[in-house]
Amino acid sequence: MQQVINVFLIGISIGSIYALMSLALVLVWRSTRVVNFAQAGQAIVTTYIAWEVVNRSGSFLMAFILAVAIGGLIGGLVESGMMRTLFKHASDGPVAAVAPVIATLGLLGVIRALVGLIWTNEGKRFESPVSTAGFVIGDTTLPFSRLNLLIIFTAAFVMIVFSIVFQRTNLGLALRAAAYNPEIARLSGVKVSMTRTIGWVFAGAAGAVAGILLSPNDSLTPYSLDVLFVFGFVAAVIGGLESLVGAVVGGLVLGVGLSFITFYLGTSLVFPTAFIVLVVVLLVRPSGLFGVKGARSA
Amino acid sequence: MLKQKRDKSSKREHNPYRRRLLFFILLGWGLLLLGDRVSELRVYQGALIAIYALAIGSLILLTGYSGQLSLGQGAFMAIGAYAAALTQIYLQPPLIVTFIAAVVVAALFGAIIGGGAARLSGPYLAGTTLALALGLPTLANLFSFLGGETGLYFDVGIAPERFGAEFTLYKWFFWIAALATLIMLFFIQNILKSRYGRAWKAGRSNPAAAQLVGLQVGRRKVLAFTISAGVAGLAGALLGMVSLVAPSTFTLSLSFAIITGAVLAGLTSLTGSILGGLVLVVIPEIAEMVSGNFGESEAVTANFPGLITSLLLILTVLFTPNGPAEQWHHHKEKKKQKALEKAH
Repeated sequence: MQQVINVFLIGISIGSIYALMSLALVLVWRSTRVVNFAQAGQAIVTTYIAWEVVNRSGSFLMAFILAVAIGGLIGGLVESGMMRTLFKHASDGPVAAVAPVIATLGLLGVIRALVGLIWTNEGKRFESPVSTAGFVIGDTTLPFSRLNLLIIFTAAFVMIVFSIVFQRTNLGLALRAAAYNPEIARLSGVKVSMTRTIGWVFAGAAGAVAGILLSPNDSLTPYSLDVLFVFGFVAAVIGGLESLVGAVVGGLVLGVGLSFITFYLGTSLVFPTAFIVLVVVLLVRPSGLFGVKGARSA
Repeated sequence: MLKQKRDKSSKREHNPYRRRLLFFILLGWGLLLLGDRVSELRVYQGALIAIYALAIGSLILLTGYSGQLSLGQGAFMAIGAYAAALTQIYLQPPLIVTFIAAVVVAALFGAIIGGGAARLSGPYLAGTTLALALGLPTLANLFSFLGGETGLYFDVGIAPERFGAEFTLYKWFFWIAALATLIMLFFIQNILKSRYGRAWKAGRSNPAAAQLVGLQVGRRKVLAFTISAGVAGLAGALLGMVSLVAPSTFTLSLSFAIITGAVLAGLTSLTGSILGGLVLVVIPEIAEMVSGNFGESEAVTANFPGLITSLLLILTVLFTPNGPAEQWHHHKEKKKQKALEKAH
């Protein structure tokens, strides 16, 4: 029983990171109807910056704040710099539907190459700000550590901030309106083009948090967040790709599920399981657990 | 205008099959003559170009014609390579049979996955195939007969004696790869020009209209996925032949490289696929030369090619989304139309 609780808690910890990445993907999808394949790439930049800051100043908090700010900035720049040009030029023609995917993949390649040029491809050790040794209860050591606790709290904090912004502010109302129906939002005075950029800014920030939470106590390379992207995507699809709540729930469900598989069946089954879950959800309930029917036409 | 065009195209289609065949035979002959005149490394790179061109061709069929973007061609290549290697190891049939096995097994997987893929569009399909490309190679660690990380060795043997003693192994690889690619591209070209190709195009540009004229869009999409997977499987077997049948050969980077090549060459023109293969091999070469000037830094050698190709990818999709060739064609067509309007 104790072990089950342990595995569950670790699942929540890793799942909250997936949830953040999934949240980033959903924010971008809601604002521009694009799945941003460069989301993990944007996060890798901020994670390297955080690593650099931690190495130079030793302050994890400063690294975190800087990474989130730069993550938002990159998101905004990508939307206003690249995606707008794309929508202007590639709005029709035989490959219009796949153009955003290809463009964001290209961006991913550029970012990785630049990161590799600056920091080389060698794995960097990202020291954890808190102890990674498990909590000790009585004379048993749990696999659940302070780092896991920190991850859960940070992710929860970010999600609470997001939900306040989205539910309680005028900006949030504008963002939701623009996502729901851009045309009507525009007519009622919402600057839809601005909400698009803001969606990307929030997504960049959320992705940055996911990257910085995943990397401690692990080796950091230009490719180390690929897996995070895939799991974030699976989580987003489980949640329906439309709903912010769905993204979070999808991330947590996936994290807990994969945690159980890792502990009881072995690591090699993690990918196949995630893939099967993805395919089954897409085929059986394509609008996801939280999606609106008919939302999948884009 | 329309009538005139039809007249012209019917004249061109006087005997398109024979013309294409002639073109491919001439191309192959030229390549083989060239193979005798260059160094060993160039021959190896020639084989790589052929393999990439074939993989790009499979993606052009799938994305450019049927409109389904797959980020998982690398996965089907892996399936083909493992199928070929396992057939070779356990059955030791004639070489051609191993390659056929690669095509059949990969196509089979393609049919299964394509059945699901046909219901997905745009980013969903891309994300699913991405997960496939990332997840499938890890299966090699799950079953011991797949050889784990070290992988399998796909041994095609040395060239038959009748080619002479000077016929090196790489030249043999090149012959196999170039021949397989030429035959396959010829085959794809003919499919694309057939009613199947037209049906794919119709389903891609306007699914509702295609359905209305009686095309079964979904079933045709599955067919495109199956054929594309089979072709990719052959490319994978060839790649396994020149390198190693291991997870490290069929990475996500391979899938991305193939997409890059396909987009740079133009997603809607098969003739570009050879050009795309050339680009994928030449750019790292150039990068190596450039990085040599910067003092042989490993970070530069490893990342410069990626930087260039990715930048080209973005610029292509931003400014000539249908590929440079198509854009030029479009431009010419427009000019012609303008001239025609002026004449009236």
